[in-house]
This record gives sequence, C-alpha cells and structure tokens, in this order.
Amino acid sequence: MTTLGITINGQVHAPTDVRDDLSMNDFLREYLGMTGTKFGCGAAQCLSCAVIVDEPDGSSHTTPTCVLPAASFHGKTIRTVEGHARNGELSPLQKAFITHFAFQCGYCTAGFLNEGQVFLERLEKTPVPRMGLEELIAEALDGHLCRCTGYVKYHEAVRDVILAEPKRYLTQEPRG
Amino acid sequence: MTTSRREFMKWVSAGGITLSLSRLAVAGQVAFPAHETLPGLGKFNPAIGGAGRVDGVAKVTGSKLYASDFRASDMPGWPTKTSHAILVRAPDATHVYLGMDLARLGGALKPTVIVTADDLAKINTRVPAFYEGDLFCPVGKTPLYLGQPVALLIFEQFDAYDRARIALRDGTFVKFGEETGPIEMPNYAAYRFTRVAGATPDAQDVYSPVLAGWVTPGRVQASSLPVWSSLAHTNEAVYAKAAIHGDKIRAEITASENSALVLDRTFDTQSVDPMFLEPECGLGWYGAKDKALELVLGVQSPYEAADSIAFLLGEAKAPYKPARINAQFAYVGGGFGGRDHTPFVLYVALAAMFFPDRPVRLAHDRYQQFQGGIKRHAIKMRSRMSVDRASGKITAFAADHILDGGGLANFSPNVATCAATAAIGIYDVPKVDVTTVAQHTRGVTAGSMRGYGSLQTMTALEVLIDEAATALPLDPIDFRRRNALKQDGRTMTGNPYIVSVRTTEVLDKLEQHPIWKQRDAEKARAASGMLVGTGVACVTKDYGTGGDCSNGRVELSPDGRIAIYCDHVEMGNGIGTALANRVARHLGGIADEVAVSQVGVFDALELVTSGDCYTMDQKTQDKAEKDTRWVPAISSATSASIGAHVGTHASAEAARVIFRFGLWPAALALWKIDRRDPRSKDWNKAVWKDGLLTLAGQPSLPLAILAATAHARNLVTGAVAHGFSRWSWSRARFPIDGQQYRAEIDGLAVRRGAGKFTRIVRSSVLFPPTNNNRMGTAYTSMCGTTVRVEIEKATGALRIAKAYSVFECGQALVPEVVLGQAQGGFAMGVGYALLEDLPPFESGPGNGKWNLGDYLVARGSDLPLRDMEIEMMPPQTPDELPKGMAEVVMIPIVPALLNAIHDATGKRFAALPVTQAMLKGALA
Repeated sequence: MTTLGITINGQVHAPTDVRDDLSMNDFLREYLGMTGTKFGCGAAQCLSCAVIVDEPDGSSHTTPTCVLPAASFHGKTIRTVEGHARNGELSPLQKAFITHFAFQCGYCTAGFLNEGQVFLERLEKTPVPRMGLEELIAEALDGHLCRCTGYVKYHEAVRDVILAEPKRYLTQEPRG
Repeated sequence: MTTSRREFMKWVSAGGITLSLSRLAVAGQVAFPAHETLPGLGKFNPAIGGAGRVDGVAKVTGSKLYASDFRASDMPGWPTKTSHAILVRAPDATHVYLGMDLARLGGALKPTVIVTADDLAKINTRVPAFYEGDLFCPVGKTPLYLGQPVALLIFEQFDAYDRARIALRDGTFVKFGEETGPIEMPNYAAYRFTRVAGATPDAQDVYSPVLAGWVTPGRVQASSLPVWSSLAHTNEAVYAKAAIHGDKIRAEITASENSALVLDRTFDTQSVDPMFLEPECGLGWYGAKDKALELVLGVQSPYEAADSIAFLLGEAKAPYKPARINAQFAYVGGGFGGRDHTPFVLYVALAAMFFPDRPVRLAHDRYQQFQGGIKRHAIKMRSRMSVDRASGKITAFAADHILDGGGLANFSPNVATCAATAAIGIYDVPKVDVTTVAQHTRGVTAGSMRGYGSLQTMTALEVLIDEAATALPLDPIDFRRRNALKQDGRTMTGNPYIVSVRTTEVLDKLEQHPIWKQRDAEKARAASGMLVGTGVACVTKDYGTGGDCSNGRVELSPDGRIAIYCDHVEMGNGIGTALANRVARHLGGIADEVAVSQVGVFDALELVTSGDCYTMDQKTQDKAEKDTRWVPAISSATSASIGAHVGTHASAEAARVIFRFGLWPAALALWKIDRRDPRSKDWNKAVWKDGLLTLAGQPSLPLAILAATAHARNLVTGAVAHGFSRWSWSRARFPIDGQQYRAEIDGLAVRRGAGKFTRIVRSSVLFPPTNNNRMGTAYTSMCGTTVRVEIEKATGALRIAKAYSVFECGQALVPEVVLGQAQGGFAMGVGYALLEDLPPFESGPGNGKWNLGDYLVARGSDLPLRDMEIEMMPPQTPDELPKGMAEVVMIPIVPALLNAIHDATGKRFAALPVTQAMLKGALA
C-alpha cells in the first residue's frame, strides 16, 4: 500500500492508502467517482484516459492513467476534464469543441480537450510561427484515437482557438 | 395474438414480468431546462444548423453520460455500494472445456459468487431465439466459438475484483481436455438472388426476387456449403426456377469469353472490430424484496435488450424471476452497429440476479471487448462479369459469397442478404445471379457493423470495375457512367429505388475534380523512389431495414418552449440535434428539451401489434389493420444511417400537426382572418423567419405569442405520432377539427391546451404492402471518392496525399454533424483498407490477447487532414426528405484506395487490408 496525496483540479485530496497495483484510472473512476476521465484500452494506445499533469516548474503535459499506478501520482497536481470550466464558464477550447461539432459520441473528448489545452498553454509561453501551425497541432493530437470524427473538426477547433489569441502564434517567421 | 405496448411487454416476458424503459438522465442534472440543452437556449436557430449539439456541454465537461460512468451511488434509490463482475470467456473452441482452476484467487481474491452453465440450468433461464446457443459453455462440451462465456465471477469489493482480473488476464485458468475439433453447425442462411430483365428497360422482368420471392437452396448433410445447382434434387421447385435462370446466366458469361470482356476474380475481406471507444458495460441491481431488476445499459437497441432480458428470466424459478424490470439507457460511446442486438446485456442481468440486493457492474476491458464483441463479417467472394466491348455495357454478373458468421447467428442472415443485393453497386445489369451463404464458424460472432455487407461486396465490385475499364480500355468514370442505374431502373431484386438516384451527378463531380483531372501529370511528377497513383470509386448504400419504426412526441408550453421525446438512441450521430432542427422547421424554434431512448411517453397512441412485419402476408396485414390501433411494428433499433430519415420522422410529423391545428389557427385569430376567408388555407405560404411566423400582408408573429394563444384557445399544443416504414411510410387520415388530416403516420394523439393527450382514431390507413419485403432496398444514397496516394518504393509506406468525397443525403438536418460523420466514415474506410485486420480463429481476437497496438485503426497521421475535401450535395429539391448517409460515406474510399494503389504500382490486390508490408513485398 502507498499513501497517495494529490491535487486534482485545484482541490487537495486528503492522503489515501491505495494498493500499489491500483491504476490511476481506477483511482479516479472507482475511488473518486470522477468518470469524466475515460477508460478505452488499458494499454496507453487510445489516450481517452489522458489527464494533465502540472509540474512544479510551471510546465504541463498529459499522461495516460490506464497503465500508470495511482501511487506514481503521489504529490502531483493534475487536471481532468471536470476542471476546465471555471464558475460554470466553459473554457475557450470547450466552447470551440462545441461550436465546431468537434466530437460525436464524445468518449474521446476528455483526452483531446486535455491535450489541446496543454498545447494552447505551451504556445502562450512559446508562440510558434503561423506557418506550420497545422502540422504542430496534428503532431500534438496524434496519439489520441477517435473512431467517430476523422479528427478534422478537433484540429480545426484547436487551430481556431489559437488564432483567436494573437499571443499564441507569430505572424512572421522568427529572424534567424 | 394482439397486444398493447404494455401487454406486449408482459407477453414477451411470458410470466408477468413488467418492463419499463427510460432514458438515463445526466447524473445530478435532471431539471427540465438544465439538461440536453443547446447553447444559446431560447435563441432562434435558423432553419439549418445550430450552435452545437444538444449534448455538447455535457460531453465537454465530463458529465456522467455513458453506461460505464454510472455506479450504484449515482443511482437514486439504489444501495450505494457497487460490486463487480468478470465475464470469463473460452480462448479455445477445439477442445473439451473442463472448468476453471481458480487456485490463484485465494483469500480475499476469492469470488463471492460464481455463475456457470449449471446454475443457469438449475434456475431455468431461456435463451432468446436471436442468441441461440449456450450462454455459458457447460463443462464437458467443446465451446461453440472462441470467446464463448464460461462463467461470471462476482466480487463484492472492487479491490478483490481488480486484483483478480489482473491475476486472470492470461486466460490459462480456463482448462481444456480432449481435442474434438470445432463444433459443426448448420449455415445461418443461404439465398440466391437472380434477375433476368425484360427485352427493354420498360418491359417487365422475366424473373426477379420481387416477382418470384426470395429463394434458398436445399442442404446436403455431408456438405458444409449449399448445393446451388439447378440440378440438385434436394431443392424445392421455387428454388429450382431461380437456379435455372442463374445457371443459364453463368453459362452465357462463360460462352461470351471470346466475344466479350469476361473477368473472373476473387476478393477476400477481413474481420474487423467496430472499435467503439467505450467497451461494453452495464450496471444491474436486483432487489429481492420487491423482485425488481434495475438496469443501466448502453445499446443501440433498447427495446430489444429489455425484451431479451425479460425472455431470459421469464420462466426462471423463484427467487430468480423478477416481477418487474426497469431498464434505463445511457448514451453510448460509439456504436457502429456493434451495440445493436448485443448479447452482453444478458450477462449484466444475470450478474444482478445471482447477487441479489447488491448492485453489480459488468464491464469489458479492451481485451474482453475484442474477445467477445460483435465483429464485421469476413467475406470470400468470387465474381464474374461479362462486358460488351463495343458498347462498354455490362451484360451479365454472377457472384458467390461466403460469409464467416462466427459463433452465433446474430445478424448474419441479414448481412448476407444485404451484401448480396449490394453486389452490383450503382450499376444497371440486366442479368444477375448472386448466391450467398453465412456460415457458422468457431470465430467470434459477427453481426451488424457500419457498411453491413455492402462495404465488402461493393469494394470487390469497384475494384473489378476498375480492372474492366482498364482492359476495355475505357476511362473509369466513363465506364461507370455508361452502366449507372438511372432513376427508374431496377435493382437486383427487381424494384426501382423510391428516392433520388444521383449517380451521374456524383460521377460528373468526380470527373471534374482536380485530383482526377491532374492524375496523369501528378503521376509523371513523382519524385525519385516514389510511386504516385490516383483511384476512383462510386457506390450506393441502402439505409433502413424495411421494417423501421418512428415514435415521436412534441409538446409546446404556453411560453413557447418546445420539448421533444423520441424512441431512437443517441450514439454520437446527433439524433437529438437533428430532432431539434427538424421540429424547428415546423414550430420556428429550437427545442428546450430533447429526450431520446424513450418508450413510455407514447402510450397515448394505445398501439397494438402482432405478427412479424418482415414475413407477414398481405391478407394477415389487411385483417390486422381493421383494428385502428394496430401497426405492423411499434419500435425498432437505432442505426446512425437511419437516424435522420426514421428517427426524426414521427417528431417532425407531430410538430406539423401542432403547427397546422395549433399555431396556424392561433395565427389566424391574431391576424383576424376568418375561417371562411380563402387565406385561412394558406398555411403552406406561411414561413418561419428569425423566430417569427410570417405571411405576406400580415404582421409577423413570435412563437411565444402563438403558443400562448394556442393554449388560451384550447388548440392543439402537443402531439404524439407513430410511423412505420417498409420501404415507404404508412399513410393515414385522421379527423381533426372537422377536417380529414392526411399524413405519413399511422398513429396520432393530440393534446389541446394543457389537457391530456387523446388518441385520434384514424379513419383510414394505407400500410406499405407486404410484398415490399421482397425488395432488397428502396432507400439508397450515393457517394463517390477520388484519392491520390504516394508510395515509397523501398519501404512500401503509403501516404494519402489528397482525397475528395462527394455524397448526397437529401436535406441535411444538421450539416455539421453530417460532415463530421462523412469525415469519420472516410477515416474508418482508410483503416479498413490499409490497417485493420483480425485473423480468424485461434490467432484472432477470440484468444483474449488482442488490444490496440496489435490492432491498428486510423490516427490523424494516417489521414490527409488538410487535403481531405468532402462535398455534401444540396438536396435535389428544397423539400427532399433527409436520406441516411452514415454508412455510404465509409465505402468508396476503400476501393478508391485499391484502385489508386494499382494506378501507382500496377499491382491489383484481391484481399484486405493492403498493409505496408504487403506493398513492400509486392514492390520488391
């Protein structure tokens, strides 16, 4: 058993004893009832289970939860799909997913949302040239499987949120 | 036997189990305006399109929506603790099953309850006919198929369950003894479709399935395949007649080899998994005191699921027989056909029954979903085609199909017939003979999946057509145009389509597209070490089943709020949004509430049914319809491809009634137009514009004012409607307000003001004739694709450089959803053509070792995301009804890719998928 202390969506969870082989996905879904994070394959292949990990250095990245033990998240700060909206106000990416009709069944949406959000935040810190933006979006989202949509509208939604905020991209190539 | 809906439920449960079904609300959000509400509530939505899906907010915030999201603690009135079950399946189907060695589950890991075949026998469960076969393989028998369940293990605590499932993952605890080889079983179905056209296109056919009925051959005990020959003495006369025509067609094809182009080719397609992202899951709780079985399920066929569970337990011994079953249906995380008539729900119910008073959750993991979930049929095809070289016309076509149906019959007969009747695609062929047989094998059960047989046979056909065009030689599009079936031409079964046939328009668009026009130049420009090729294909796909039902209820509140209730299921296809938009065309506003997967809210119709709508004869139907409450069927399963056409029909018709007998007379009153004034009949001239009802010369009226007036004057403010389609809708007349109202519905109830719904007794009805059951299909949509590929010679790596798909679907209810489905269909087609493959039998998914990683589906990087152009043709006429399109859009990319690969490499592949390794091998 390991004692797991974790911060999820800004809320500090009291230390909990968990089995060493309990997956993070089951900790979220079975222990906490946070089923917005999905279970798809259990093999880190579809990433419908991905959550955001916020590192102490201010960087963020996504990670699958289905193959990682909950214990490995001890001391970490994570964000899940349930935490994107603030005070009932949807995030720009959530809104864009809706207005672009980005998803159909919606089972992969949490994973795409988390990945897209991390990508947006990365660009806010390190803007990229407008040219080549679509390739970067494609690279960022490529690990995520969707069986319904063909991915196009997810990518367009992410692109349009980026383009709505000039600080996320450079209109001219950086001088070399 | 005639029964009402409620009585019907009692009847099917054959022992007094009362059934109720309902849609599961979003947990914690049940107030009227708070769930399933479009963004921009209260704002008018233009006639087409909206601000998003009705389920949009729930899906981006992680609300509990899917069956796999719910635990007992989420369910009002349930005990709070959830127990968990594992469905153990057999990874072997050639040796005798000896039982389980659960020694590794010691101490706390020991299951609380184990359910086996013996237990089912003791309590006297019954297997619904559709799922015929042992629900659990008994000890001492060889499993009927790989992945056949052998036991349920139920654990009271999650941690015990979780550790046990890890301990059991390798499957070696399921023990087998003596080798017996696979169990032999009869074929699931065998049919022969033969058509000989008359001398001219207008002349009556010499022979066709519509004229003579569908025929099936006799069987010979020693043979695993039917004997198709007309000379076989085991055949009945009705079959022999078809076979004589068919044999003659084949002889003519052979005889034409010297004068005509004759191609004789085989094509094999593989088994694939629907790979919906949410593995199957369900939650059940049996309260022993109340004898009530509560269920949370996620399926495409709610009515059937509850019906089957009621049958399963209908004669069970006490205390295993519930008095009441309350099934609630959640959203599904993808379906693609694989959740239509799934046996999984039976095991959810059994898990609950064998651990009374404790809610039990049964959930597949992905390995189990591969091992036990419904698959697409692998089909072996041989096709022969004769083409007149001078005219470039196909004169005759013959084919033989063998489908691997896997372990249970499921929908194999239906898929086999759909595949066979699709075998000539978009073409007008005067002489056709196609045999089809769906076989039992020890593979995982195959059933419904998007494309439903047509995907396989049209892929084989379009590759054959491409080869024929090359051999003639004719331009591939020109060859297709010469042979395309025209609007009034007859399909293989001998009937014309009753919807628009726009093949020529699709071909014209393909021909004019730069991808196609620039194919030679691009090929010549290929970089060193690369091969470039362009392919084209054009297909048509039926939608509907020939026995489709639509239930809809629409209510208008005094302040103009609209609520819609529908019996079809939301599986990502946007049915809720489509309903809202279709109703908005009649009522001028977007619904505030849309509830899908509903059953009980249509009771005011007092419908009754009897018989089987697919097999009944005309005399039986004529007699039954004298009861004004009778319909051929009450409710049917949902598929994405019929959502627009069928799922929204009844609600649209209900809305039309509210407009005609509620809002329109309210408008007349407000406009002070007397009923004797000729303008009082001008309801067709009034149009909704920005939320206002407008009529020339009159002030525009907002919906809220009209609704208030309709309520105040006790006009019609709500309607419930039922429709039935057997390749055309039922039509009936209903006396309302002194008029005979005609509509394409067969049941109607209305509410006046705030009153109760009252059934309107229909004064006449015209159900589609039972002879329509002889049609293969009468509803169809067209789609064509041209695609350019680049293949690296050294590695065989293929990149889709550009693609263009064009399709027609009548009036698109939610164009954004339609476009999304077309993009998704394209992606699924790419996976089917190039990536996805499940080998048969022991090395396939039934062995329990398959997961993503081994099984490849298309990712974004497999697709030309920014060079994938999809065009949705506008409706042929402004009032053209919506047509199903979710299946057709995945088909043409498959043969178009194979044709492009041939153009690039000169190699024709006759089996799927065409992988990088195969390309590399072919290019070596």
